Amino acid sequence: MPEEYTQIVTALKALTQGESPNTVTLPMAEDEWNTRPDTVSYGTVQLDFEVEALAGDDRKCVTAYECSVDLFSLQRSGAGWVELITATLTEYCGSCWSLNSHQYERETGLFHWEWTFQVEG
Amino acid sequence: MAFSFQVTGINELVSAMGRLGEEAPHVAARGLYDGAAVVADKVSHAVQGIATEPFKYAKNGKKRNPSPEEKAIVAGAKHGVAKFRYTGTEMQTSVGYQNAGYAKLGNKTKPVPQIANAINSGTSFMAKQPFMRKAFSQSKQAATAAIEKTILEEIEKLNID
Repeated sequence: MPEEYTQIVTALKALTQGESPNTVTLPMAEDEWNTRPDTVSYGTVQLDFEVEALAGDDRKCVTAYECSVDLFSLQRSGAGWVELITATLTEYCGSCWSLNSHQYERETGLFHWEWTFQVEG
Repeated sequence: MAFSFQVTGINELVSAMGRLGEEAPHVAARGLYDGAAVVADKVSHAVQGIATEPFKYAKNGKKRNPSPEEKAIVAGAKHGVAKFRYTGTEMQTSVGYQNAGYAKLGNKTKPVPQIANAINSGTSFMAKQPFMRKAFSQSKQAATAAIEKTILEEIEKLNID
């Protein structure tokens, strides 16, 4: 795992340990096979794929990976987690992140935010 | 669902385009079409890589993969290069499923862009498989090269120094 990715995962998981907004917890799973917790909001973070690599001296020198964070919340505002997640991404990735999609699941009533960010491996 | 891309840093092309006058939008459109086609082709290939499993309801907190029917809808749907938009200074297009219409899934009719988006971004009950994002990211260089090649060929045809 790229070190930068591990740092971000640790930082995102640390969000759940402090006093959370609206007294909800944000269980953060590191893979997509997380158990769906019975809470107002929860999130997942995962490393998606390799974006590009710079080669030099006949070997791969630098690799960039695209990763994503998903937040699911029953509240339209995201229960305060939107601000916390974007602040964490800015702290660790600078401007290398973006909100890829924001949608509403009619079947479950969940609002879904998806951020993507790139890390160097 | 659509993705767009911007080509920057090709100064020699920009200066040559400046001398084309009224022909510039046409030349830019031809270049952009070839570049967007590269991305659309990559999406077609990426669809084939979507992992599926027979449909089942997500249980015990586990997410499910798309069903073969969902994959077949996305693979068979109309996807490609959208209508070009010229803003006066920029030629824009997008690659995606925005005009793919509707498809019958089980006893429901669903918009194809919604199915494609559910696979690409995942849902609370479906694992994400970012085939669009992957295709887009990995075809950026090839698309830029195709645009540059076509524009240079068009400029040569017009015989402008």
